[in-house]
Amino acid sequence: MNQINPLQIGGLLLVVILFLFFKLSGVQSEIVEADQSFKKSEKLALDVSALKNVYADKKRTQKRLEKIFSNRKLHTAKLKIKKQKKLVKVSSESIDSSALNYLMGKVLNDSYNITTLKIKQLSKEKASLEMEIKW
Amino acid sequence: MKFSSNNQRVFLNPSSSKSISIAKGKKADIILSPSMYWVKKISLPVKSVREVKKLLPSIFEESLPQGHYSYYAYKSEDEFIVFAYEDKKILEAIHKAGIATAQVGAIYFAQSELQRLEIATQVDETTALYVKDKLLLLAPLSWFAESEKLSLEALKLSKHSISLQQYGHIVDPKSLYKIGVLLSLFALILGSELFIAKSKLQDIEAKKEEIFSKYKLQSSTLQNEASLKKYTKIHTTQIKLRKYLSLFLKLHLKEGQKIVLIDYKNRVLSITINGVKKGMEGSIVSMLKREKVENKISFHSESMKVEIKL
Repeated sequence: MNQINPLQIGGLLLVVILFLFFKLSGVQSEIVEADQSFKKSEKLALDVSALKNVYADKKRTQKRLEKIFSNRKLHTAKLKIKKQKKLVKVSSESIDSSALNYLMGKVLNDSYNITTLKIKQLSKEKASLEMEIKW
Repeated sequence: MKFSSNNQRVFLNPSSSKSISIAKGKKADIILSPSMYWVKKISLPVKSVREVKKLLPSIFEESLPQGHYSYYAYKSEDEFIVFAYEDKKILEAIHKAGIATAQVGAIYFAQSELQRLEIATQVDETTALYVKDKLLLLAPLSWFAESEKLSLEALKLSKHSISLQQYGHIVDPKSLYKIGVLLSLFALILGSELFIAKSKLQDIEAKKEEIFSKYKLQSSTLQNEASLKKYTKIHTTQIKLRKYLSLFLKLHLKEGQKIVLIDYKNRVLSITINGVKKGMEGSIVSMLKREKVENKISFHSESMKVEIKL
């Protein structure tokens, strides 16, 4: 007749409930923290990815620049294009104003990492150009 | 499994003041005196004992004094023998007799175990047991001309033993079960919630680990933060470069003034404007002030040089 005291069972259940309750509230706080951390990482990933796509995508930059340089408006400028591993150097000893406007319009209105730019007026219609773009 | 043959048999008589000693390591099979329970012999149009048990509270309703009763029933030939007893009073009698709860093996009613007595059987100096109309009763010993001493050792015990509700008088067992079930359910719900929450946490952590590989980035947050810093700096510089170039190209220069050199290197933009003597730079300076551009101005002959650090 060794019966267990129901109050002991009730007490045990209450202890179990309290334990589960505290454990649950702990896990819920961890979820909130993990969620915030995830959102922060997601934002970081999106930002880095977006900026890398713009400034570190060599293929994209190369393709777009080639399209600009091959335009017939720039044929008279006799552009010298020197591709290196991390950058491209573009220069012209004499570029007329309409070709310069076209080139700078295209380059400045897109997202390129211009590290060097030198435009020197030679005469009313002519200028010299040196430009380095990193990729 | 019960090994009742090994247990010490005890007749529990609450009117006896003698304490009962139980051998060390042994248990006691207790036979309750008729004074410790109410018994009825009834015929009912039901077949099973289970159905009778449901009816017992109403069967005893008018004949019992106030108290917390438990009930028991068994079938004897065509009739049912039904019992009502108070757990608390039996427990008190057991304790009064000096038997510890842990020493109690099984508890029986005298009715079920001694109903085949042929003559009156003496239980103490003043009372005896006798059977009348299939019911075992307690009567003064003086009623009987002859009697024998109660002997329990040769008795073959029935299967009609009862379990006492030790705490039934504190809380109604039904309420206790309900509370127990509710608490268990609550614990179960909390347990399930905990399980779901842990899965959710694991999902978030797994997603967090995947996020950088999803965007083909470096694996650690620190490395990516460094990358973000680097590319943000490039982006800010490029925005500024375009903004300042635009400011100068849109600038309305006076007659004879013209930009002759734009030079950008090592994050320093310098613009050389010809035809601007010292003291004539007012409109250019005010534009730079308006746009809050930090700058350094120098003059050489008739040209002005504006340097802006990006």
